[in-house]
Amino acid sequence: MSDFSWLYDWPQFIPDLLPGLGVAIMLTLSSCLGGYILGFFLALGVESHLKIVHYAALVIVELGRGVPILVLLFLVYQGLPQLGMMLDPNPAALAALMFSAAGYSSEMIRAGLNSVSAGQAEAANSLSMSSADTYRFIIIPQAARISIPPLVNLTIIIFQATSLATVITVPEIMQRAGVIGAATFEYMSVYTAAAVLYLCITIPGAVLSGYLEKTMGQKKRSKRKAVKALLSGSPTQSATVA
Amino acid sequence: MGEIIAYIAMGTGWTAVMTFGSAAIGIVLGLPMLALAQSRFSVLRGIYHAIVHVVRGVPTIVWLFIAFFGVGQLGLTLSPVAASLLVLSIIAAAYMAEIYRGGIQAIPAGQWEAANALNLDRLSTLRFIIGPQLFRAVSPSVATQIIGLLKDSALVSTIGVADLVFRAGIMTQYHAHGLYMFGIAGLIYLALSLPIAAFSRSIHARITRRYALA
Amino acid sequence: MAGPFVSALALSKQFGEHRAVDNVSLDVSKGEVISIIGPSGAGKSSLIRCLNLLEVPDAGSLRIGDTTIDFDSGRPGKAQVARLRRFTGMVFQSFNLFPHFTALKNVALPQMRVHRRSRAEAEERAMEELRRVGLAAKADAYPAQCSGGQQQRIAIARALAMDPELMLFDEPTSGLDPEIGAEILQVMRKLAADDMTMLIVTHEMEFARQVSNRIAVMVDGAIIEQGSPEKIMSDPEQERTNRFLSAVLGR
Repeated sequence: MSDFSWLYDWPQFIPDLLPGLGVAIMLTLSSCLGGYILGFFLALGVESHLKIVHYAALVIVELGRGVPILVLLFLVYQGLPQLGMMLDPNPAALAALMFSAAGYSSEMIRAGLNSVSAGQAEAANSLSMSSADTYRFIIIPQAARISIPPLVNLTIIIFQATSLATVITVPEIMQRAGVIGAATFEYMSVYTAAAVLYLCITIPGAVLSGYLEKTMGQKKRSKRKAVKALLSGSPTQSATVA
Repeated sequence: MGEIIAYIAMGTGWTAVMTFGSAAIGIVLGLPMLALAQSRFSVLRGIYHAIVHVVRGVPTIVWLFIAFFGVGQLGLTLSPVAASLLVLSIIAAAYMAEIYRGGIQAIPAGQWEAANALNLDRLSTLRFIIGPQLFRAVSPSVATQIIGLLKDSALVSTIGVADLVFRAGIMTQYHAHGLYMFGIAGLIYLALSLPIAAFSRSIHARITRRYALA
Repeated sequence: MAGPFVSALALSKQFGEHRAVDNVSLDVSKGEVISIIGPSGAGKSSLIRCLNLLEVPDAGSLRIGDTTIDFDSGRPGKAQVARLRRFTGMVFQSFNLFPHFTALKNVALPQMRVHRRSRAEAEERAMEELRRVGLAAKADAYPAQCSGGQQQRIAIARALAMDPELMLFDEPTSGLDPEIGAEILQVMRKLAADDMTMLIVTHEMEFARQVSNRIAVMVDGAIIEQGSPEKIMSDPEQERTNRFLSAVLGR
């Protein structure tokens, strides 16, 4: 353990890795945007009464959630050529991450949709609202409160997962770090710099997600409290009765 | 074809060792971390949160490369297996500790109060009242986390542990047909996660049958 | 033993800005049944929780039997708390049975751990107490398999099995339907008839009138008056008591 210079050397590698952070963020945003839209339709599919649609959606969701992302990356990048589909590294990573994001997000979106009581849809039906309008104005706004905190969390997880795209040579943070490491043998410094870059996104992300969980949950709690207070009758109320 | 499947399937050994090894260590190491999280001293609680945020905030592959390439550069060379087990175990411990912490919060304050009012000492309270309820509360999440570790273990292939993905990669290099090779690996991952999920469901069913957590 | 069995002197308990218990003094004699009534948020529960130190008072002193704790000289030690608690049994509004134990084990385990009774001894005693609350048949049931009223009776049995000399009841029926609450009150009447010393926080005015030797009225953290049930119910000294009773009795 001769060398502790990495403890203060690492910041010098940050500028070289920054373009990789840009790639990672772009990859995260595009795969999450596509993945969550796909996830929404998968959620509707799983809830469908049509057996075929239900099972098809379920299989896609379980593949997206159950197969390691690394395997998905290899399947897309090294597997699809077998079917004559050659993808460049960037679109291949996008496809694999989007598939994964779709699988995970569909369960979170489904939990949100299921949290809205059936009475809400019935009420909208009784007002002759179209089912598209019912979703758009009645169901989705209420479901979002439940779904958004875990989706923010998932976005952070997908951001971390972009690091895996290095294995198919996407020029994100870890790929650049690997190149620099191989050239300088300063592995400890360069990977420490990479870790710090990831933390710059993940720690604020975790704080945001914790905050959303608390505030979106709190509205419900205080409502429950209000009902409880109403039922037990606060002191001021008994005074008014007298 | 059969030989290829057999060659890839042999990777189940290291995949299972990594998954269950790190799960076992993480389940145990999570307990002292829980103690840290529940500490009376805010400094210790702060240290706990810092550890958890940093461990979970850095992607697993970065930890693996730090442990294998980085620590190696400093002169302490870890074998791929040792580096992988070390990293996965620490990550598992951080996740388990957070699961335990959630479980503790889910136990109603009334349980602690009733134990207090009955004059049970702290050790008895933990052993007979809180412990068993915590175990039941966290079992499903722990099982889910083990499935997460199973998927995370795929990353050890990147530093040369001959697990399922590693072997599927080698077969792809020899024979091409990546769709088959990684498809086989993917199916084995799914097959491995099924019994863990089933186990989790059976625990959950047993708990709800026994006492509905109203 | 000279003087009353329980003697609380100038107890105070503060939660943040809110003074839940404000300079309360209360004496309880052996065998006495005292009901504490008053509007919600008056500090009744806080007071009763102070008496077995689930809440540690900030000031004042508390004597039960031969054990005295003075809170003005700092937080009491664990051993002191345990000694004082041995005299008391607590019944909660939310029952707080241990959900992973059967009724029998709920009643037996604390005896084994705290009083070091053998399993056989503890279970025999547990059956005795379960019979006393009319639930011997439910010994092997888990709490989730029992109604709310049954759960509360098991909780009473659990407290009684620890040989308390003072039973504290914190709104034992307020989580229950009136009809089911009646079965709890029946058990409590029997206890009172057996000369158990009891302190009861309750909203059941008729029950308080029938079973108590004394009623204490609590408002804004303080006991504003106490006296015989007849005196409090029909001729209270304080205007505030009158107002409270008018509201709850609808007269």
